[in-house]
Amino acid sequence: MEKIKTVIIEDEAPAREILKHYLKDFPEIEITEECADGFCGLKAISFSKPDLVFLDIQMPRLTGFELIEVMTEKPVIIFTTAYDQFAIKAFELNAIDYLLKPFPKERLRSAVKKAIEKIGKGREEITSPQDLIEKLPGTPSPLNRIVVRKGNAISLIPVDQLKYVEAQDDYVMIHHSTGKALKQQTMKYYEDNLPGTDFVRVHRSYIVKVTEINRIEPYGKDNHIAILKSGERLPVSRAGYKHLKDELNF
Amino acid sequence: MKHPVLENRIRFVVWWLVWLFLAAGQALLYYYAYGSFVNISILDAVISLLIYSALALSIWYPFAFINRDKTGPLNLVMNLIITGAISITFWILITRLIIPLLLPGNEDFDAYWSATFPYRIGTGVFIYSLIVLTYYLFMSLTNLSEKKAREAKLESLVKETELRMLRSQINPHFLFNSLNSVSSLTITDPEKARAMVIKLSDFMRYALSRKDEKPVTLRSELENLRLYLDIEKVRFGERLSIEEHIDPGCMETKIPVMLLQPLYENAIKHGVYESTEKVTITTSVSPSDGFIAMTISNNFDPEAASAKGTGTGLSNVSRRLELLYGNRAILKTEKQNCIFTVRIYIPADYAT
Repeated sequence: MEKIKTVIIEDEAPAREILKHYLKDFPEIEITEECADGFCGLKAISFSKPDLVFLDIQMPRLTGFELIEVMTEKPVIIFTTAYDQFAIKAFELNAIDYLLKPFPKERLRSAVKKAIEKIGKGREEITSPQDLIEKLPGTPSPLNRIVVRKGNAISLIPVDQLKYVEAQDDYVMIHHSTGKALKQQTMKYYEDNLPGTDFVRVHRSYIVKVTEINRIEPYGKDNHIAILKSGERLPVSRAGYKHLKDELNF
Repeated sequence: MKHPVLENRIRFVVWWLVWLFLAAGQALLYYYAYGSFVNISILDAVISLLIYSALALSIWYPFAFINRDKTGPLNLVMNLIITGAISITFWILITRLIIPLLLPGNEDFDAYWSATFPYRIGTGVFIYSLIVLTYYLFMSLTNLSEKKAREAKLESLVKETELRMLRSQINPHFLFNSLNSVSSLTITDPEKARAMVIKLSDFMRYALSRKDEKPVTLRSELENLRLYLDIEKVRFGERLSIEEHIDPGCMETKIPVMLLQPLYENAIKHGVYESTEKVTITTSVSPSDGFIAMTISNNFDPEAASAKGTGTGLSNVSRRLELLYGNRAILKTEKQNCIFTVRIYIPADYAT
């Protein structure tokens, strides 16, 4: 029987220990790597292409959710968390498997059983990680950094450095002070999760940071155009103009 | 509502003195109204006002009754007039019945009575108005002081509640992760698991038992913080290290209970959680000219772009200092060379 390759990503050593100890009872599970932070976890996933990942949410450098955002592989994920009411609610709504620390072995057993069933059905059946993230409602507090991936390089862009977000088919282009980065995500996600007082959706395809706007000029019959401090010219739709008006009180 | 005169000895005395004064006035007035019978008018004044005074004391009860919150102004005026009319009629009738009994065989009384009758009605109305005014004055003063007392009570209640909220916030994340570590240690190192359960119990006991704002010594506060950090050390291992520089002279200084806890939680959250490198949390306490200076610092990973919290921990601590010390305490933070430092100065003579 083919073994199920498993990666454990968890920053606290005792938490890794107990998981490994429990998993000894599952001969079909083979732990290929263990990681103590999100970056290491991401590397381990692309290196060993696991079938199953135990993923902590709160971790240094890259959180469990951020890791999923930039992961290209499609392993089955079992989240582990100690206390995060927001995440738990999201998991329940979307039938994503999770373990609440501390958990009994029976709870792990049922999670692993479900995971094995999913893996048995073949990779095509497994929800892609991005879909998983798509289903998660926004973060409870406004977003404060965005994780992007270029090839194998991962970078974290602080929201402070964001200039604007541009829609590009199924992707968004994140324009920031030191360049731009493409990411598979929806405009709605950013509209919902960027701090609403700083960012305004000025157009179907643009969300802009208001402090980056230098001036707004009329354009055509009843459209406007926003000229940024850095010189870019972004179209402003009629609805977008109204949003701007509301936000800036002019 | 309490009776304004009967419940207070001084007011009771003043009340009768005023009536004495009124009696003198009435005796003079009635004497001049008729022009003679000075002895009858004096007796009349004393007796009739004795009766009126007793009546006036009992008027308080219907008065308080008709002045409950829901009476409309028109109703109120009607009620006052009716009460007044009944009282005055009653007063005149009783006076008319009693005085002749005290003056057996006096033939002048009937003439005196009819001559002073209109004045009597005037006196009745005048005194009734005085009584109503007095009672209103009393009522508004009582309402005012009651309102003030209520407000003061409410304010202290709000402050107390706020302090309680600011004080007792054990991070559930900490609790459940620690329990998970215990669960793990029961397998790998039962001895250590037991030690951790005991530490966790001691910490929880300290945190839960401190329900009121009683100051504690720096010594016991530090002991508790060491428990907390020891527990966290089990979770984070080599990633967390602790340093202390405490001036021994400060150990018995009183400080607010669990004041520093949120600052350590912050150091863990923004330092240890976000970093893969070793994070050192340093605590220094030293006396400083009638104050004690407490400094807590930790290094952090500058790469961790998110290390921006909601500011709840810090703002809770500074709000609490404000409620307890007014402007006599200072909280300062600084971020330099990847080290985050919080400095607190509080008066060394704290006692509540």
